[in-house]
Amino acid sequence: MFKKEPTKSNKNIETIIGPSVKVDGDFHGDGDVIVEGIVTGNLKTKNDLKVMEGAKIQAEIEAKNAFVAGEILGNITVKENIDLTASAKVKGDLTANLISIERGAIVNGKLTMQASQPGLPSKASAENKEE
Amino acid sequence: MYLYIYDAFLNDKKYLSLLNRIESRLADLEIKGKTCHLNILKNMEEVVEDGLRQGVKTVVAVGDDQTFSKIVNIIADKNVTLGIIPATNDSKIAQILGIPPGEAACDILAQRLIRKLDLGKINHQYFLDSATINNPNITLHFDKYQISPATKHAVISLSNLGFLTSNQTVYKNKISIPNDGLLEAVIAPLKTSLFSKTKKIKKQSIFQFKKIKITSKGEPAHVTIDQQAIFKTPIEVTVAPQKLKVIVGSKRLF
Repeated sequence: MFKKEPTKSNKNIETIIGPSVKVDGDFHGDGDVIVEGIVTGNLKTKNDLKVMEGAKIQAEIEAKNAFVAGEILGNITVKENIDLTASAKVKGDLTANLISIERGAIVNGKLTMQASQPGLPSKASAENKEE
Repeated sequence: MYLYIYDAFLNDKKYLSLLNRIESRLADLEIKGKTCHLNILKNMEEVVEDGLRQGVKTVVAVGDDQTFSKIVNIIADKNVTLGIIPATNDSKIAQILGIPPGEAACDILAQRLIRKLDLGKINHQYFLDSATINNPNITLHFDKYQISPATKHAVISLSNLGFLTSNQTVYKNKISIPNDGLLEAVIAPLKTSLFSKTKKIKKQSIFQFKKIKITSKGEPAHVTIDQQAIFKTPIEVTVAPQKLKVIVGSKRLF
């Protein structure tokens, strides 16, 4: 009778940095972040990051998963997967469990893939310069 | 004990039959209480203060969105529950709270499903719906970062309830939740056409926050809260979490 109603709150919090906005400083988010505008500084989120085509980021990035279609100048550290689409331009080091690069993407930096489970073979590191 | 406050615009004859229907439904549901019709000589604040002295525990505002916004500021710091009866069909607040217009709202009041909602606060003034700035020449200072709109025409809304209410997907996606202890800053760039008609374009920016400071780059910008009070920048906007007890319907959007 007095069963507590399940909370409906903050399950899918999203921050959207639109194309007409400039963010300066250390942005720390808990939810999903979508970037379509300009970001300079640091960009960290505990959840997923989407960098859309046209976005320009000059920052150190940390996220759980990342999907990149825009320009990034800075190192990217991702806990799980990173997807770079054909329009992506990255100048910086990438660290992730799984890295997927579509033909046409431009990456200048060191790619480091880490094993997701402790039992798996240790770091496979490769230095790539691709254009 | 209930206190029913009818806004002054309801003194117009065209609302007479609606008010009769509301009152008879309240009587049927046995939730009738003290009734007060506002007019030039009776303001809302005095009526609420009188009611509280007489032991009122639930204040019900009958009117439109402006009525509900006004009463929020009066009762925010008091230990009372707010109920609303929308007299018009276009109340955004009622829609979000799941309250149907007219006498159907009385049934929701009788069910007394109470939720605590956040309120926004600007310089000691509370707002339930939103604060808007029609000047993009401002900077929003968050805890560790700043945001500046990079467009000539934009509307900046600091929203609790009303954010994008025309686009209810924000509720379906659980972005705007009026009891999560956060407010949303929404920057909506405007497209201007040759004939100077302004249109909102879709690519808005959304940031959640508990506290921000807003400064302007040039002349002070005007901040309108709940389409009533106006402040000038610089201002500080904070959230007052779960400040207001409100009777809501089961069809609420959050």
